[in-house]
Amino acid sequence: MGEVIVITSGKGGVGKTTTTANIGTGISLQGKRVVLVDTDIGLRNLDVVMGLENRIVYDIVDVIEGSCRLKQALIKDKRYEGLYLLPAAQTRDKTAINPEQMMKLCDELKQEYDYVLIDCPAGIEQGFKNAIAGAEKAIVVTTPEVSAVRDADRIIGLLEANEVRNPKLLINRVRMDMVKRGDMMNIDDIIDILAIDLLGVVPDDESIVISTNIGEPAVANSKSLAGQAFRNITRRIMGEDVPLLNLESDEGFMNKLKKLFSRKGS
Amino acid sequence: MDENSVIFKGTVNGLTIILRPEDNFEDILAVIEKKVESAGKFFRGAILDVRYRGKKLSPDEEKRLFELLVSKSGAEIKSLQEGKEEIPQPVQQEPPQNHPFRLKVSNFFFKGIDEGPTKFHKGTVRSGQLISYDGNVVIIGDVNPGGVVEAAGNVIVMGSLRGIVHACADGNRDAVVVALNLQPMQLRIADLITRAPDEKEVRNTYVPEMAVARDGMVYIERYLR
Repeated sequence: MGEVIVITSGKGGVGKTTTTANIGTGISLQGKRVVLVDTDIGLRNLDVVMGLENRIVYDIVDVIEGSCRLKQALIKDKRYEGLYLLPAAQTRDKTAINPEQMMKLCDELKQEYDYVLIDCPAGIEQGFKNAIAGAEKAIVVTTPEVSAVRDADRIIGLLEANEVRNPKLLINRVRMDMVKRGDMMNIDDIIDILAIDLLGVVPDDESIVISTNIGEPAVANSKSLAGQAFRNITRRIMGEDVPLLNLESDEGFMNKLKKLFSRKGS
Repeated sequence: MDENSVIFKGTVNGLTIILRPEDNFEDILAVIEKKVESAGKFFRGAILDVRYRGKKLSPDEEKRLFELLVSKSGAEIKSLQEGKEEIPQPVQQEPPQNHPFRLKVSNFFFKGIDEGPTKFHKGTVRSGQLISYDGNVVIIGDVNPGGVVEAAGNVIVMGSLRGIVHACADGNRDAVVVALNLQPMQLRIADLITRAPDEKEVRNTYVPEMAVARDGMVYIERYLR
């Protein structure tokens, strides 16, 4: 029996889809069977971020309406063993499915997969209600901005009201240089307001922009700091206790070593 | 004739009775008698200036209404007269109809500021949540920015108050707002609205403070030595 986790935020653009793609890929790299479900019907993005958009034939609305079987709509990612995607529809909108149908779909998916990750759309209306319908656990994504934290707080309240307890927090796009200057909210302030367990912190990283554009999740990129953060987060989801990344070091270890040698050499 | 044909409105000065011109006076008296009786001990001991409007009453009818109120309500009726328009409101008072968070229960002042029914809410009040009660409210937790607490009486927050709080939402200014960390987005006591000063004070420890309304202004004081 698999775990159904919804990745939500309230605010748009904070990194839900990127997180879903990276955590999903990360979990599959650890050997488990994962299915990613895109519930942002009408504005689908998970397929693009995963690099699978030209393989879509059927989508989630087709499955729910019975136009095809679930297996026909699932796209197997050829790069990562055990990773599947159920894309959203682009020509319909969020009224095309309802929470009961979503719950049935999640029940069916959890029989076959170890993890079912649901990419929730922004907002608190029908899209959100659909996405959380089948979920047992939640990851709330926020950025260290007052407006994002405000919306995350609302979402946590709504999750609790809908019996999705103990959501975990993921703080995305943190810029430690700005936090040190006092220009950006620090992690403790965010946790103070939201008062939920911290799952992880992901730094703002150019490699994410590159990776989402080319459709290659950063978690597979060993040179990406954000990718490293996602790798740690993946391990935490799977039960391991991994210490938080030290985001303050601008220079990598190799750079520091090089500097040491160049000084001695000359 | 139904109950809603006569409307009682509590105001800062007393009671306003709103009548409909097309109703028969005997019917009106009967409805008023029923309303006052069903209020039970509520009016007892109150000192009320009563105004009425909506229908012109003859001196005789006024007298009968006055006697009815005196005999049935248990309140001291200081006066009964026709009110021509709304009693002039003090400048800052919000018109009750436009109040976004209307307490639906009663129009009369909550008298339980010192001892009275209290709602205890365990847990954080998150953004978008509304806790509304016709009495005092104690929040055992924080009130996050965007969260709203509305009480007819006092509001006590055993945590950080960062949201919107409205104490004495029905007009009585004696209520207080207390919090372990008083940094509200907006604080209202009765009709007085105020907000935290613009310089954001960074606090590492809890500093319990109380907000009271005095002489038309809201004062924040530390109540522990």
